[in-house]
Amino acid sequence: MSFPALIFMSTGIKKQLTKAVTSVPKVAVGVLLGIMLFGIFMVGYDQGHLFSMAQGEPAYEDMWMHEFYHDMRHAAGFPCH
Amino acid sequence: MKTLTFIAITLLAGAIAGAILATINQGIVEPYIDAAIDIENQNAIAAGELFDPTEYANYRIWQKGGEIAAGTILGMSLGSLFGIVFAYARPSIPGSNNKKKALIVAGIMWLVLFLIPALKYPANPPAVGDPETIYYRQTLYIAFLAVSGFSALGLAFVYRKMGSMQSKKILVPGVYAAIMIAAFVGMPPNPDEITAPMDLVNTFRVASAFTMSLFWAMLGLILGAFWDRLKPHETARIRVA
Ligand SMILES: [Zn+2]
Repeated sequence: MSFPALIFMSTGIKKQLTKAVTSVPKVAVGVLLGIMLFGIFMVGYDQGHLFSMAQGEPAYEDMWMHEFYHDMRHAAGFPCH
Repeated sequence: MKTLTFIAITLLAGAIAGAILATINQGIVEPYIDAAIDIENQNAIAAGELFDPTEYANYRIWQKGGEIAAGTILGMSLGSLFGIVFAYARPSIPGSNNKKKALIVAGIMWLVLFLIPALKYPANPPAVGDPETIYYRQTLYIAFLAVSGFSALGLAFVYRKMGSMQSKKILVPGVYAAIMIAAFVGMPPNPDEITAPMDLVNTFRVASAFTMSLFWAMLGLILGAFWDRLKPHETARIRVA
């Protein structure tokens, strides 16, 4: 193999390596973004929506989940009652 | 990058920092929440509503226990966002190890996502908010948070694009400050009138800001420590095309 070809190959591998090392996997970003949105919505914003899916309208009245994360919502600075 | 390791340490760091936050809150923030709820109860009794002390005590135990679970969930959520930002930013952040790098990123996110929004819409204990305005207040809060977060995100890309230009170190924070001052002045204030004692409200705000700041610092330290140990950025397999 000629010397320039070797150099070319080695830079090629080096590029591959840097790419593999620095790129953040899209799957991981998707999973983590999903968890973030769901968690923030639940702890910070939900007014009974999540439970209403299983329980129906009464969820808005008892807000069972709301009581559960109520104190954290105040303490973390989210708007509450 | 090792995908599973990255997800696992990100969620674990968030869960640990969140659980610690909720535990510290039991001692530091809860006394003020209790005091504020007492005021609410006094008002309810004065208004002639029925009040059962035993039922109320059980209910508060339930709420405080819930705080630990909620803290863990909140920690994982904010931790997820932190993990993503850290993974992308890490190569361009100065610092000899990942703990230092993670602390820098956590510090910026604390400023952008906690401190600045808290200056405009500070935390309130129970007995302050008017339930009628909750959707309006949530909209204001999330709008301000979005302005702060997306400006910072956009400016982070600009910062990277500017390469070795020295002026970026003044220019980029300057533009962010200008946007946030405009949003601060331009956006409507919290509509609720505070009838609870201002002393209580202010101590509550300081206590809440203190533990939230601790949370961000712990989040950075814990994820940084995991990162140093498990090095998820080093790829497990090398693809040769
Ligand atoms: Zn509340």
